[in-house]
Amino acid sequence: MQKQITEANLRLLIDSLLLKGQRVVGPRQSGTMVLYEPLASASDLVTDELPRRSIKEAFFPVCEDLLEYRKEGQQIELKDIDPARFPETVLFGVRPCDAAAVPVLDAVFSWDYKDQFFLARRAKTTIIGLACTTADDACFCTAVGLSPNDPKGSDLLLTPLVGGGFLVESQSEKGLSFLEAWKDRFSEPDDTKPLPLAQPAATPFDLKKIKAWLDDHFEDPAWDSIATRCVGCGACAFVCPACHCFDIVDEGSEKAGKRRKFWDACGFSKFTNHASGHNPRDLQPKRYRNRIMHKFKYYDDKFGQTLCTGCGRCIRVCPVGIDIAGVLEEIEKK
Amino acid sequence: MCDSNKNIYLPYLATVEEVIDETPDVRTLRLVFQDEQVRESFNFRAGQFAEYSAFGAGESTFCIASSPTRKGYIECCFRAVGRVTESLRRLEVGDTMGVRGPYGNSFPIEQFYGKNLLFVTGGIALPPLRTLIWNCLDLRDKFGDITIVYGARTEADLVYKRELKEWEERSDVKLVKTVDPGGNGPEWDGKVGFVPTVLDELAPAADNCIALVCGPPIMIKFTLPVLEKLGFGDEAIYTTLENRMKCGLGKCGRCNVGNVYVCKDGPVFTAKQVKAMPLEY
Amino acid sequence: MIQTIDISSYSVITDAIRSEARRILSDSTVSAVIGYTAGRRKGSTQPIVITTADEADKLLFSAACLNDLVVYLTKAKKDVPKSGRIGIVVKGCDLKAVIGLLGESQLKRENLYLIGIPCSGVLGSLLKPSAELTTKTIASKCCECTDRLPVGCDFVPAVTPAPLPDLEKRYANEISQLEAMTPSERWEFWKEQFSKCIKCYACRQVCPFCFCEQCLCDRNRPQMVEQTPRPSGNTAWHLVRAMHLAGRCAGCGECERVCPMDIPLNLLNRKMAKELKELFNSEAGFEVRDTGPLTSYREDDDQSFIR
Repeated sequence: MQKQITEANLRLLIDSLLLKGQRVVGPRQSGTMVLYEPLASASDLVTDELPRRSIKEAFFPVCEDLLEYRKEGQQIELKDIDPARFPETVLFGVRPCDAAAVPVLDAVFSWDYKDQFFLARRAKTTIIGLACTTADDACFCTAVGLSPNDPKGSDLLLTPLVGGGFLVESQSEKGLSFLEAWKDRFSEPDDTKPLPLAQPAATPFDLKKIKAWLDDHFEDPAWDSIATRCVGCGACAFVCPACHCFDIVDEGSEKAGKRRKFWDACGFSKFTNHASGHNPRDLQPKRYRNRIMHKFKYYDDKFGQTLCTGCGRCIRVCPVGIDIAGVLEEIEKK
Repeated sequence: MCDSNKNIYLPYLATVEEVIDETPDVRTLRLVFQDEQVRESFNFRAGQFAEYSAFGAGESTFCIASSPTRKGYIECCFRAVGRVTESLRRLEVGDTMGVRGPYGNSFPIEQFYGKNLLFVTGGIALPPLRTLIWNCLDLRDKFGDITIVYGARTEADLVYKRELKEWEERSDVKLVKTVDPGGNGPEWDGKVGFVPTVLDELAPAADNCIALVCGPPIMIKFTLPVLEKLGFGDEAIYTTLENRMKCGLGKCGRCNVGNVYVCKDGPVFTAKQVKAMPLEY
Repeated sequence: MIQTIDISSYSVITDAIRSEARRILSDSTVSAVIGYTAGRRKGSTQPIVITTADEADKLLFSAACLNDLVVYLTKAKKDVPKSGRIGIVVKGCDLKAVIGLLGESQLKRENLYLIGIPCSGVLGSLLKPSAELTTKTIASKCCECTDRLPVGCDFVPAVTPAPLPDLEKRYANEISQLEAMTPSERWEFWKEQFSKCIKCYACRQVCPFCFCEQCLCDRNRPQMVEQTPRPSGNTAWHLVRAMHLAGRCAGCGECERVCPMDIPLNLLNRKMAKELKELFNSEAGFEVRDTGPLTSYREDDDQSFIR
């Protein structure tokens, strides 16, 4: 279903949601950065900059409790986390490169064992996407089969119109329900043209060709030349909408504490370190190889999807300027 | 474990029923689940593993070392090498620990019916095969000859010493035990030599036989060529792989060897599958 | 008023680096040269290790050469081949890290071939690598730089950098603002900053002085600092790191530049450096020394705080 909404009505809509006690998360100025954060009012919404971090943390928080334990004598008492306590959320202004990663992550978080920390939040969240009219030279969504107005992952997609306002297109049942619930704010679409979409300079990659090279080149001197410069931090993995590695740790004492899961990255030197000291990925090129392999081969082998949406955050944030689009270009040329 | 609203990271609570020191540094814990329903319904297959919690220290991954045919308890066997295993080692009878599982694939035991079985293992790698050994011995007439070749650095390092004796005394099992040269005490009555060498000398027949191999990488490296020489095909040789794990259920992205997740596609693999994997384990 | 910075010397410097690298690789003076090369995005650069003379043309120097390459010389970076003598491109700020590491016996002078850069400044961030170098985009550390002509190097291109226009002393301003706060205001300021931390450890990984093969915070027996990115653990992490760097940090500012959450880490380190200068009259990065103020004891050390 297609509708239209003026900028003013959009802000009124957000304020109405907030007034009802609905949790609304959107791009917001946070100190020196723009981040997807809970809004206090519609005027908080910032729509001209890509947030520094992705929305994966709406479903996969940076750190969260898995359980609480308490020791009484020789007995342990466990306290579970109730997924019913996760709040209903409306995510506003989500860029297509962020929204598209969410269904990709669904695959791993529901692989046989259903991770309710992720899935219960998913069920309670409505994603309202916003198409992009600007891009910088790190953006490469078009190179990995997406686009600045790709509806993948969005329940509703907003496209900016000439003169202000947005075209609104529902993409799912949730989107339709939202339009129905707030129909007073929306109007029927008229002939107003959409603003020209962003045009990321990146040309589409032949992902099949790249995967074919990855299938056969686990050992290749290219990994050394690409990855010797990698310093092994987790910046790329953490800002990425699709990376989902995590660690589990007990914090507290043997008497009482919490078990928590928190973001981890395959780039860290001790990521695969055994207690014995044996480390299958003991050198940085091996760890970087795993990153590329996981994103462009293993996730495809397992789930038929690419674990990258071309948002370009890893490129912008890498301390040593490693450019994943450049790496893919290099591989494609081989 | 696939209950849709369940917290998949929440462990079952189990009481330590017995503590057995297999060697000066290897310990077995026998565990009984505290919840009656779990006690009755917990089911696993030989080869599967679990995540064992020492609350306050964290979780550690070991195989379930007891046989699925023995109900009422499970066992784990470990060496204290890190923070969690050291905490587990401090547990006493009556203490509580956590168990999440069973996870992973298992030995396709039904495909072994009617065949001879050859177990080749060393040191602390016996536990993942011990579960299968007892599983098979408890269903003895389903299998042909059962041969176990087991070695360790020294006599003291042999695990499950009581059971080695039991297996030796059984007429329907052939146990060949060995220690590395120099590891034998004055009353040692087994062989002296590295496991691959002893296996070579023993020269068991490959015909209608499945080989199950588990051991440190160096032992595997020298055992596989001997098995090949004896005529064992790549799909007649099974092993279990170990890798650093955290979630144990395919989400945390840590244990993969190439595109193979040891916690989901393994830990049991055939030699054919292992050879197809990149050298990343 | 924003002024453009004259970086016309950078193309001359680039040519000089290339010919020198070609020379020292051809005659085997060095086995490798660590420098900067172009990236895919317009204007971007990335570190590179070249080992043959015909790769010399990959090297360049531009206003986007922010990285402190000295981190690749430390034992933390095992993947960088370290046999024989290694050439490395260093700006004045990077050279201070070399001096510090020489003092800590992490580097041997005879194993280094230092290619110094007469520097007119670099960008403060690589978010827009093709940005023009101006008084606004220039890195804060450049505004207070006293090492534009690095000394003690094995080769320096024969170029005199154009004089810089007046630059606002941003760090001095930030430190004054910090010092104007009451202790509780300062605590609130840092708590808020540290709560942004996601424990990516980019700060640690780019720091030439964080070369411990196992960082204190990666040990779990005992677990000294919580691993999870929660406010209290984050604060502990940053304070531990600041203390471990005090007296050693040479102010390259990389930690602050690479932090994806915009935490002003260099402000913390510069403030610590200021304290050390005032308390012990000691500054890192100027002379090779094997002990610093926090690793030595003197009879006449101030003891007034012991009551």
